[in-house]
Amino acid sequence: MIRIEKEAWQTMLQHAKATYPRECCGALLGTADARGRHVVIARPMRNAYDGPQQDSYQLDPTEQLAVEKEARALGLSVVGIFHSHPDCDAYFSKRDLENSCPWYSFVVLSIKAGEFDHAKSFLPNFDQTAAEQEPLEYMV
Amino acid sequence: MPKVIIPTPLRPFTNQQDAVELPGSNVGEVLQALTTQYAELRKHLYNDEGKLRSFVNIYLNEEDIRYLDKEKTAVKEGDTLSIVPSIAGGLAWPL
Ligand SMILES: [Zn+2]
Repeated sequence: MIRIEKEAWQTMLQHAKATYPRECCGALLGTADARGRHVVIARPMRNAYDGPQQDSYQLDPTEQLAVEKEARALGLSVVGIFHSHPDCDAYFSKRDLENSCPWYSFVVLSIKAGEFDHAKSFLPNFDQTAAEQEPLEYMV
Repeated sequence: MPKVIIPTPLRPFTNQQDAVELPGSNVGEVLQALTTQYAELRKHLYNDEGKLRSFVNIYLNEEDIRYLDKEKTAVKEGDTLSIVPSIAGGLAWPL
């Protein structure tokens, strides 16, 4: 289960809408315990995919290191990654799965005609062969 | 000894330590020492065949070891290793 605070959620929506019709991406900073993950900060990141970004995203490792450093300084952890699906549902695609990592929750935002439609969160396994949907809660 | 920065999601497996200093003369040896000391980290970094998982990228200071000498890349006192998962995706091909 992943719970996203209002401010972080607003940041995610703004970033996803601002980058539309391209895919956006970013990191989710917060805490984790046995009950699940709690996101307090969303950090928009650069889509480093070298090609058409309408249907692709890639994180920039240098930026990932910087976000990790920031989380550490704040006593938080990078608990998730978010990205958007422009004019498309919020599923976890084959490419999302094959390029994922089991350390994070993967929140996907569906943006249709420039507006937020719905979101889902996924937990990929170690071998990137399956991802389980997890309950997602966000404060509006 | 070289230092390994532990990504925040993996800190629960290193007694919450941010960074761990470990012996070793190359990247592979340091990572072996890390996953020997903190056995729970092993499955996060290595697959069942003992190879680094495909999403695990290791940076020596600022450089990706894939473009150096991979796991045989030499390390020395004062070097910093970072573990950065490679993450990408695309909306094509729903499962
Ligand atoms: Zn996707």
